[in-house]
Amino acid sequence: MTPALVCEDLVKRYGDKTVVDRVGFHIDEGEAYGLLGPNGAGKTTTISMLVGLLRPDTGSVRVGGIDVAEDPVAAKRLVGYVPQEIALYPDLTARENLRYFGRLHGLPRRALTARISEVLDMVGLSDRGDDKVDTYSGGMKRRTNIAVALLHRPRLLILDEPTVGVDPQSRVAILDRVEALVAEGMSLLYTSHYMEEVERVCTRVGIMDRGRVVADGTKRELVAELGGTDRVELVLDGDVNAAAEKLRAVEGVSEVAVTGSSSLRLLVVGGRHLLPGLLSAVAEAGAVTGVEVVEPDLEAAFLHLTGSTLRD
Amino acid sequence: MGKSTVRALLVVGGHELRSRLRDGTAPLIALVAPILLATLFGLALGGDGDPPLKATIGVVDLDGGEFPASVQREALNTDELKGVLTFRQYPDEGAARTAVDSGESGAALVFPAGFSDGVRAGRGGQVAVLESPESPLAGVVARSMVDRISALVEARTLAVRASLDAGVPADRVQLFVEENGAAGPTLSLAGDPVAGGPVDLAVHYGSGMAVMFAFFVVGTSARSLLTERQNGTLDRMRAAPVPLWTALVGKSAVGFGLVLVSMCATWLSSVLIFGVSWGDPRGVFLLVLAHAFAATAIVMLVASRARTDAQADGYTLGVAFVFAFLGGSIVPVYNLPDWLRDVSLVTPNGWMSAGLSELAGTGAGPSAVLVPVAVVTGIGVVAGALAFLRFRKGRFA
Repeated sequence: MTPALVCEDLVKRYGDKTVVDRVGFHIDEGEAYGLLGPNGAGKTTTISMLVGLLRPDTGSVRVGGIDVAEDPVAAKRLVGYVPQEIALYPDLTARENLRYFGRLHGLPRRALTARISEVLDMVGLSDRGDDKVDTYSGGMKRRTNIAVALLHRPRLLILDEPTVGVDPQSRVAILDRVEALVAEGMSLLYTSHYMEEVERVCTRVGIMDRGRVVADGTKRELVAELGGTDRVELVLDGDVNAAAEKLRAVEGVSEVAVTGSSSLRLLVVGGRHLLPGLLSAVAEAGAVTGVEVVEPDLEAAFLHLTGSTLRD
Repeated sequence: MGKSTVRALLVVGGHELRSRLRDGTAPLIALVAPILLATLFGLALGGDGDPPLKATIGVVDLDGGEFPASVQREALNTDELKGVLTFRQYPDEGAARTAVDSGESGAALVFPAGFSDGVRAGRGGQVAVLESPESPLAGVVARSMVDRISALVEARTLAVRASLDAGVPADRVQLFVEENGAAGPTLSLAGDPVAGGPVDLAVHYGSGMAVMFAFFVVGTSARSLLTERQNGTLDRMRAAPVPLWTALVGKSAVGFGLVLVSMCATWLSSVLIFGVSWGDPRGVFLLVLAHAFAATAIVMLVASRARTDAQADGYTLGVAFVFAFLGGSIVPVYNLPDWLRDVSLVTPNGWMSAGLSELAGTGAGPSAVLVPVAVVTGIGVVAGALAFLRFRKGRFA
């Protein structure tokens, strides 16, 4: 079966700076692929090239077997793109926004009217479809943002940080809807800051850092790379930076990241056995008020691969 | 261009037009403002002061020779100034200055003592012009007369010097020169010396406002392009299965259309309110069409350098006012200093002004404005090509 998306050796430079550096991955038909990476990793630039908004300096993108550079219009017909920002007209109603973008996608008037009702129902906004978007909550705007991308029944849905700034209730509603779409057979590319969202929705994950895909595989494959490494979360009343320095010197500690004003995340081999050594190492820097040893997970894999936390 | 592309352009254009109508910018900037200002200017400044067809020019003849008298006689006999020009004599420059300042005369020419002898002997001579900002058109006529006198004096001086160099005795030079075609002054003011002058001020301000507001009208489309980029809706449009330039071209087309409507409405209002004619309607429409195109391309070019919608507004405002001033849309071209008159032809406004002067001032047909139309269209093509390249770079197209 033709993959929903294949990108190879994508490079994008701005002057001397290489923002995307030989990025390549593929998404199979009906597969949900997550792209994880901190701010500035190059995720949005990569997506811009995938949806035909930006021309790569080198490399190729094929959507459903169609080369985006050769036939961008045909390739874009297969893609539903949900940008990171709320890309809607605030002075129009959701229905008017949907009608405009639907017509831009070439949907016939009569079919469009019925489809608008369907997607409004899909995102749970049937009763607010005739209200102006600027009267919506953040979550409702996000749902409308997604609804626009669903109008033309795309084969591949690309969601760029779709839950930024939404309340927990709307986040759950969005994730439920995305899961349902994937279950119905839609292919998905999902980027997020939120590890738990990607873990929940995606079957395969690519980890991006400094413009490169540093790892690509199922959650099980990525975590297996850690071997016997555990993640340790430390809460400390004292100088976390000094504590981080002390911890790096402890044998068996492979990564240390400061995650807050009083918290640290460590990757250690044999976490439970090493715990006394860790506590004595930070004794001078402050008093430990909390410790958690977590079995290997995607968060630990990310720290292991990039040396940073996702929200750095 | 495929059917789907045309349909996408219509969708973008329709959306843009509805937005402009909904937020009120289209009717305000395209219709109300230019028509209102053109009417107010026309009422306040048109028809008063020193109408071009009734100019009184003072003469101070300190020379008393043949030249000043001949100049006045010739001027009064030219077809263009017959029944238009009145000369009034003053004893000295002071009296003439007082008369010009008080408005008794629109301008004055001062022939210095010995002027005719100087010309006859090949030494040349200088005529001074006294003007008043209150009577610009009399000043134009006076200056153009002096230009012609200067040309004649120079020709005569050259002829005398050449004759002397050729060995003609000094006491026979005058006769020799006159016998050989450089007789007394022959004054011709046909056409160009007073270009721009004979146009009714209601026409001038009507066309000036139409030309200037063309930039503001397109400016709203340029602003909306920048706003869409800031809001992210531009990327959403570009991600749709349509060519990347659809949004840019769709919005520009609406800007162009609104400019056409705006300029034609201002033209029509000027005709209806003041009963004036801008000249042959086919010629006027050709000029309007060319200017609408050029204004659209120029505004899109300057907007392509903007990062925000507010910046686009600022750039549009700057270009519109600078072009309006330099191109004679506010102050008539004939009232500008010589060097600024040349600069005016760098702007489409200057060519519009020149073209409309031809049509309204001389009653010429559309063929008389082919050069202005070609130049203004050329300016539009160059600006449009540069704008498109810059927009591509800036992820608009």
